[in-house]
Amino acid sequence: MLMIELLTDYTFRTVLLGTAMIGAVSGALGCFAYLRRQSLIGDVVSHSSLFGVMLFFLASYWLTGQGSKSLVVLIPGAICAGTAALLLTRTVVQRTRLKQDSSLGVMLAIFFGAGIVLLRWVQRVDPPIPGRRGLEDYLFGMAAAMTQDDLWMIGILGFLAILVMLLLWKELKVYTFDPLFSHSLGYRTAKLDTLLVMILVVGIVIGIQSVGVVLMIALLITPASAARQWTRRLGTMVILASLTGAVCGLVGSVISATYSHVPTGPVIVLASTLIFVVSLMLAPGRGIVSRMLHRSKLMSTIRQPNAGGDLP
Amino acid sequence: MSLVFWTLAIALITAVTCALCGTYLVVKKEALVSEGISHAVLPGIIVGYLVFQDRSSPLLILAAAATGLLMVGLVQLIKRTRLVDGDASLGIVFSAMFSGGVILASQNLRNVHFHAQCIIDGNLATAALKTVQWGDVDLGPQAFWMMALTLALVLTFILTFYKELKLMAFDESLARSMGFRPVLMHLVWLGLVSITTVSAFEAAGSILVVALMIAPPAAAYLLTKNLFPMLNWSVVIAVASSVVGVYAGYHLDISPTGPIALAAGLFFLGVALFAPGQGIYSRWQLRRQQKSSVFEQLLLVQLAGKTDHAAAAETPRSPESLFRQVAWSRRQFEAALGRCLERKWILRQGQQYLITQDGRVHVEKDLY
Repeated sequence: MLMIELLTDYTFRTVLLGTAMIGAVSGALGCFAYLRRQSLIGDVVSHSSLFGVMLFFLASYWLTGQGSKSLVVLIPGAICAGTAALLLTRTVVQRTRLKQDSSLGVMLAIFFGAGIVLLRWVQRVDPPIPGRRGLEDYLFGMAAAMTQDDLWMIGILGFLAILVMLLLWKELKVYTFDPLFSHSLGYRTAKLDTLLVMILVVGIVIGIQSVGVVLMIALLITPASAARQWTRRLGTMVILASLTGAVCGLVGSVISATYSHVPTGPVIVLASTLIFVVSLMLAPGRGIVSRMLHRSKLMSTIRQPNAGGDLP
Repeated sequence: MSLVFWTLAIALITAVTCALCGTYLVVKKEALVSEGISHAVLPGIIVGYLVFQDRSSPLLILAAAATGLLMVGLVQLIKRTRLVDGDASLGIVFSAMFSGGVILASQNLRNVHFHAQCIIDGNLATAALKTVQWGDVDLGPQAFWMMALTLALVLTFILTFYKELKLMAFDESLARSMGFRPVLMHLVWLGLVSITTVSAFEAAGSILVVALMIAPPAAAYLLTKNLFPMLNWSVVIAVASSVVGVYAGYHLDISPTGPIALAAGLFFLGVALFAPGQGIYSRWQLRRQQKSSVFEQLLLVQLAGKTDHAAAAETPRSPESLFRQVAWSRRQFEAALGRCLERKWILRQGQQYLITQDGRVHVEKDLY
């Protein structure tokens, strides 16, 4: 298909806008996860959200007689389950000897296990639950199936999450870099933490629709890790990561629409991985190339005769 | 042999192997490496399938396990540059490799049966159906023997290098200074984790591998502080989860992998709450007991008077004067008073309270 044809296509425009918005929101919020060294929460939240999705799907079936796959129903469920998983992780880390990564892993087992049990049960149960077909798409993401309603949902929730981030910018910034200091300033760190967890969860679950549970972590941290190479300031980093995420979303949907049978999510992820690798190489001052240049310059200085001046 | 028997057998042997592998990961605080490996082997499996055209060829398993090690190597490479913080490198590498795998599959395996379900939760029952024949004898499912071989490999490694692994797990610098090579050891271990992941992949899928590598060892970690009991406990919990999971899966008529993962997670939750001494609930209860015991003691001290020996110092006190002196909330005061009365440490005389001999003994035993 030609570019012009693509851009005038209604469905494609929806997908384009959706993936770009998702990329921008998760890129921006991902910076906080990255800087707090909690990159892997993206993986755990996205997997855990399946449990909430299945619960709310079943609830919609019990209430209306028809299982709903609309994001308006499923995303609140995902948010509840994701938040629960992270808060439970926090409790386990605070109250037992177990460390962060094992606790996250256990929550993955509980919530994703429960989600899979419900999903397989819904797929097998007799008499069949109306609307159960296509539930599995949630696991792998179906960017192409995005509707106008989904777009609104993603837009509103993403906007709210970003708004909270901007309103509490100063507090979140201090808390992210130095939790103890922010506590000593009198900030309610426990509440800040819960709030940060919640906006992160929102940022994560609105993206699952496009890339699926496994790849969501990449949308969250790969743009942030790339942006981190270019700057030492949080504001710049968030803007860069957000832009990277949006561009990768656009690239992913264009490529997957241009070639047949190329899934959108993996292309988005590979695009942002490419940007990450390039950043790692070329970032001014700290990138690998600039490091090598610096070293070779030093080496040539050392090799010059009488490099360090006369010995005393 | 019946299908249920073999399903259970495969589940058990997979669970035990994963739990053994995961123990070291949990101790070394890199449990989520298993999550990374379980996703990163996908491109290896697909390339292996395209090359060997046989899903259960041992060469495929080695090729896919090598992909797992490749991921570990790439993560180390990125970490070594010190340009990326924390665990971000793990997430970046495994998601990129998984993406590569999905794109490969979408381009090359469209006409082959490569079900999406297999990636997530595998299919134990199908695996139990694929049996190997030796002459006329039905030896049981291929998946079982593959896992048995893996378990033998893992067990041999643990038994041979138990001391080295222990040292490496708890104090890497000491191990290095003593002339061992913890980095090499660690890589070999992650290679074993990769092999286990791949051989469990078809039967168990990625969810079960990750759940079984983390949840039982994590529970065992809270139950003991020694490595050997920890290995035992995690095997016990893994076995219990697979029995419960297979049973639940059989009754719900679904693949048992999800239920096994959930059971393992719930076993952990039970341990985290109720483990003696360590559990959240046990500790909460202990704290509550200590708190009320302190209240009782303070009350008794008030009644006993200030001097230690003179029994004459004790004077009956009205509840109001006691209450004013301790300055607790009314509820705390009444509760402590009630408990002391119940244990006959104080006596009621009309409107006044008096400490008994038992109460005096109790307060002196604990305070002096």
